[in-house]
Amino acid sequence: MLSEDILIQRLGTIVGPEHVVAGPGASAYAVDGRIPRAVTFPGSVEELSAVIAFASAERLGVAPWGSGTKIALGGVPERLDIVVGLSRLNELVDYVPEDMTATFQVGMLLKDAQAILGQRGQWIALDPPYTDRATVGGVLATNSSGPRRLRYGAARDFLIATRVVHADGKITKGGAKVVKNVTGYDIPKMHVGALGTLGILAEATFRLYPIAPAEKTYLVAFSAVESEQRVIAQLLDSSLVPNAVELLDREAARQIAGQVGLPWQAGHYGLAVAIGSVPEAVDAQIAALRTLCGNGGGLHGHVLDGDTHHGFWRAVRNFTFGDGQRAVLKASVLLAKVSEAVRKGEEVATRAGLRLGIVAEAGSGILRYSLCGDRPEGFPQGVAEAVNTLRAFTREAGGSLVVLEAPPEVKARVDVWGPAGSAFSLMQRLKEQFDPQRILNPGRFVGGL
Amino acid sequence: MIRETRGFPSPFTPFKEVPPGNAKAAENPMLKDKARIVRELEKIIGPNGVICEEDELRVYDTDGLTIFKAMPDVVVLPSSAEQVAEVVKVCHRETIPFVARGSGTGLSGGALPLEGGVLIGLNRVNRILEVDYENKRAVVEPGVINVWLTNAIAPRGYYYAPDPASQIACSIGGNVAENSGGVRTPKYGVTTNHILGLEIVLPDGEVVELGGKTLDTPGYDLVGVFVGSEGTFGIATKVIARIMKKPEAVKTLMAVFENLEDASNAVSGIVAAGIVPVSLEMMDNNAIQAVEKGVGAGYPLDAGAVLVVEVDGPRAEVEALVHPITEVCKKNRVREVRVAKDDAERLLLWKGRKAAFAAMGQISPDYYVQDAVIPRTKLPQIMAYISELSKKYGLRVANVFHAGDGNLHPLILYDSRNEGELHKAEEMGSEIMKACIGMGGSITGEHGVGREKREYMPLMYTEDDLEAMKNVKRVFNPDGVLNPGKIFPTGAKDVKAGPLGQRGIVEKVLGHS
Repeated sequence: MLSEDILIQRLGTIVGPEHVVAGPGASAYAVDGRIPRAVTFPGSVEELSAVIAFASAERLGVAPWGSGTKIALGGVPERLDIVVGLSRLNELVDYVPEDMTATFQVGMLLKDAQAILGQRGQWIALDPPYTDRATVGGVLATNSSGPRRLRYGAARDFLIATRVVHADGKITKGGAKVVKNVTGYDIPKMHVGALGTLGILAEATFRLYPIAPAEKTYLVAFSAVESEQRVIAQLLDSSLVPNAVELLDREAARQIAGQVGLPWQAGHYGLAVAIGSVPEAVDAQIAALRTLCGNGGGLHGHVLDGDTHHGFWRAVRNFTFGDGQRAVLKASVLLAKVSEAVRKGEEVATRAGLRLGIVAEAGSGILRYSLCGDRPEGFPQGVAEAVNTLRAFTREAGGSLVVLEAPPEVKARVDVWGPAGSAFSLMQRLKEQFDPQRILNPGRFVGGL
Repeated sequence: MIRETRGFPSPFTPFKEVPPGNAKAAENPMLKDKARIVRELEKIIGPNGVICEEDELRVYDTDGLTIFKAMPDVVVLPSSAEQVAEVVKVCHRETIPFVARGSGTGLSGGALPLEGGVLIGLNRVNRILEVDYENKRAVVEPGVINVWLTNAIAPRGYYYAPDPASQIACSIGGNVAENSGGVRTPKYGVTTNHILGLEIVLPDGEVVELGGKTLDTPGYDLVGVFVGSEGTFGIATKVIARIMKKPEAVKTLMAVFENLEDASNAVSGIVAAGIVPVSLEMMDNNAIQAVEKGVGAGYPLDAGAVLVVEVDGPRAEVEALVHPITEVCKKNRVREVRVAKDDAERLLLWKGRKAAFAAMGQISPDYYVQDAVIPRTKLPQIMAYISELSKKYGLRVANVFHAGDGNLHPLILYDSRNEGELHKAEEMGSEIMKACIGMGGSITGEHGVGREKREYMPLMYTEDDLEAMKNVKRVFNPDGVLNPGKIFPTGAKDVKAGPLGQRGIVEKVLGHS
């Protein structure tokens, strides 16, 4: 094994010594409590390639790092020698507004990318959590998505080309910078949600969407989640075209309403529907929604507009619950099972003595459970029980459950990904083909890949 | 043994193509042990699902792109996923090359058995297994015809969005293999955006489930990787698709322009105005001539170009979009904008577009279609270039294409009875492709690489890029017995690029025989 000094020196030769951090400074880049031996910040795709080629030659365990917002996703690393920080890869590579495509280096903050595109009335149709801090690459590598996925799809649906640094340092491209292309295999999709285990994304090209001329939200309270579910089912069976349909449990509704200064009666579930279109069509759909919700038991409807509307969705995306010991679970279930999944979460949290907040993309069947505990000693076991129970439920309901974020003590007790089913052997083989030495985030992906 | 021939009337002697280094396929056991293997296949499927008479096999020797032909040794027509898996196991055990085929409407030679062997026809595996309105999912078998699904769910106000032009004939399994597009892609995307899960039979006969009814199943997005793999990764035996609620309103407009350039600029203008139409289709004068002779859709015969624009959604939105679209057209010197008043008018406008390929027979005995893509802003440039090429080669071109996503379909018109015209058409096609790549585009937007464009892959991808793709293929299809000879350049020295090179080989073989 390379000595510390030589490791740092070699990395310094590639990226410049001022872009290598080791010693105490490296502890800010710990993954699940494991501190890397060095952190390095390549300044170009070529430097990134050289770093990975070096890691490959020395069989060093590598973890790519965007801004670290979702670094808690995944299993505890099998080994970790270097963290490769991508924050210096933050350039706009090209952007042709009239073609509605844009290419970014992955270290760019999504927020900054959106600001550039926003000047031309366009955006990457992604509104994931960690709105202000997430990087383009981190969002892609973790397949992070948000409420408007209902209307626009997820990263897989509009990532059209990639440049990737492979485990041996080779740089390849996949896809093409045009909105429609079937030349060869769809390599970009392979890297979405792969946590950098098949290669490190360096550049990403997106098909862009126009920002809707107007968007408003209808927020309404329900006393029971079951009646809310019925209204959502009617809404999704209607000809309304919502951008987002979010179900908030009692805790999330209370907190989020509070954050944007809306009156909210404790104990009510929330339903928030965002409508985006030309202004007259927004208003027409909100009117239809009001009737639909009113007939279905909705109480105290609010129409949110302007800053309140934006602030509300920001709060939904960034919703977290509790400080200190905290775990976030993501369940994906059939649309008809969302309210049951909410009830199940409530039951499980009560039983485990945990506090709970849920935001659910009810039109996509995706729930995010935030759990926190007041008694640190029982927390890991409580969360582990919650994971097992909810996973059993989601599997019965044809879905899955992944731990997005949890302390290592929880990870020691549960499989954060859950089973990958009969496709797992293909996934293993894919990993073997693309990273035979297992240097890229070893042990962190599904099934310990 | 002779397998692949050109589709034009032979004096040519057919020849067998074996990619270099594929010794296994060259020792195709079908050749020496056919009777035994046929008996075994009959045991799985029953005698009326196995075809090995040459005149019946001939039905399967080409697909929608008739310039390539390749004869299978045997065709099997299983009627269940289980039978498919059993057949695949036999092929795997015996190392017999095999290929799956849906309705045979593919336009890149993707379903051709280039090395002979077993062709698995999936038309009988054609049940709609489940429609789950509550969860917006349908589960279908691969042989289900695209439009059957929409027809089945229409009474409840639902539809399946991807609608390739061949939707009354093409199968959903084929759509999955090719990642088919259609005319709704600017707003609703292509097949891959609508497929959530698959059951596949791997080339060794193992049955695996990818994805599911819910989103984001843990692990790699193998559904995303499989869709569009052109039948080289496995055979899909179940497809879980997203179904959508029909929009409240639809409006279809026809805009008539004096020339292609104005029409192209209008396309860019509509996109730049922040409008996402469902469809944005263009036809040039040659296409208009053909369509009017064929089906009489009411396009003005003297127009330089016609745009068909469709928007859908909530009624208020659709009403509001007609004006800005019309304004953009006016800015680009539109002669006339006609908004379909009712469904009958709307369908008539579409009838012309959808029948365009078929109508080409009205103005030319043969055509050769390209499928390249360019960034949308390059439309005026590429149209001008194609028209130059048309003059240079002395061949007419009819342009009928998906302007909204920059996906060209230049139909190069030729007459195969005229010595050398196909040759010229192919050469011109390859020049168009190269120009599109030069503008930052792609060689195929929806038809696939298949047999046809495999030698063009290096235009777009480096050796390392292709190696990454081959690595994925090795995961699914390590022995290469499933659908050999597709997508990747063969690199053989005597093979020039594409169909043209094909002809080169034929001539060479003839020369030596």
